Amino acid sequence: MDANGVVIVGGGLAGQRCCERLRRRGYEGRVRMVCAEPIRPYDRPPLSKELLAGDDRAISFRDEAWYRDNEVELLLGTRAEQLEPTDRTVVAATGERIRYDKLLIATGAAPRTLPAAERFANVHMLRTVADAHALRDALHPGSHLVVIGAGFIGLEVASTARRLGVQVTLVEAAATPLETVLGAGVGGWFAGVHSEEGVRLELSTAIEDFRGNGRVEELRLRDGRTIECNSVLVAIGVAPALDWTGLDTVGDLPDVHVAGDAAGGQHWEAAAQQGAAAADAMLGLDPPRAQLPSFWSDQYGTRIQYLGDARRADSLEVDGSPTDRDFTALFTCAGRPVAALVVGRPRALPAMRRLIGASNGTQD
Amino acid sequence: MALRIEIDEAACAAHGDCEHVAPEVFRVDDVAVVIGSAPPDRLIEAAAACPSTAITVIDDETGEQVYP
Repeated sequence: MDANGVVIVGGGLAGQRCCERLRRRGYEGRVRMVCAEPIRPYDRPPLSKELLAGDDRAISFRDEAWYRDNEVELLLGTRAEQLEPTDRTVVAATGERIRYDKLLIATGAAPRTLPAAERFANVHMLRTVADAHALRDALHPGSHLVVIGAGFIGLEVASTARRLGVQVTLVEAAATPLETVLGAGVGGWFAGVHSEEGVRLELSTAIEDFRGNGRVEELRLRDGRTIECNSVLVAIGVAPALDWTGLDTVGDLPDVHVAGDAAGGQHWEAAAQQGAAAADAMLGLDPPRAQLPSFWSDQYGTRIQYLGDARRADSLEVDGSPTDRDFTALFTCAGRPVAALVVGRPRALPAMRRLIGASNGTQD
Repeated sequence: MALRIEIDEAACAAHGDCEHVAPEVFRVDDVAVVIGSAPPDRLIEAAAACPSTAITVIDDETGEQVYP
């Protein structure tokens, strides 16, 4: 590599793991991180949990001294606005032209929006610290939050909001939460837990209309019923944030890598692994061994861990007590373990990992 | 009780929760590494914080697994 070194666009986990790995592998060239937000790279899982609950814990990955000591230049508050691959240049919103020898695109994902809701001041999304602070300010005890979308973000926010004494209604188009990821059986368990915790669930439906003057005061469901509310969270999934490049595709550009949510990774561990793998690829090292996809969630004080990919499963075995929030669900496909959901018993995870890893060839 | 810690490097995703709980015991680079020790309660709390359940705590005298 030459004097321009590595440029990482995006201040999330994938970008952070890339710069850490580059330095740990002895790369001595220039490393710059182009971060749209005005703060140091930070970890996002607390946004729907601890941070939303009012715990202003430090969520930055590293302190200022770390970046100085490791000679990683942070270009904070710098939004990338265009990629010019023939010039090996990222153009910032300020007009600044940032040249690279190797580029990592780690700009994450943008939440999907509901155009009909966008004009209202009390409609929230949750992706950044600023989003989390804005939502937190709306979560007064006794107020009513409508969460649209029962994916992991929606479920975690519902859990946090209930703990804060907020009334919550969860609206989901599918018949259960997480149906496409975990199937209706396990999805039904999530519905039961949230219902027990006082969340009102409106499943297999959608919002027809948002009513109010500047702020949403009432939502109308497809069947004509209405829900009064004080605030709304739209959590209907994300899409890779690549529009800024101005290109149709970034997959085959020379010396350009993509990692994390921007690459369709969609969860924390994928972003961590892909960021590190991008660093190895830039340095011409062998790619790290693939790990089983996995993630975790905390809801109502229960730890939920998930391994593998249940979407191809044809059968499900449950061990333990779902009503006590203490069980494992093992998903199999033609008798072969492909995924597991481990609820309230982290001790069961290593055995599940061995079982699924062995049948998927990711472990010895 | 003398405890020993093992880290499953294939499972560790370097979340950093162990280091957050017990920075005197764990440092997280590519994966978590053990750099020190602490009383049993603290070791178990750190192991239980791991989202990947990648940390095993073993009683060094009996060989018995204390966590997970």
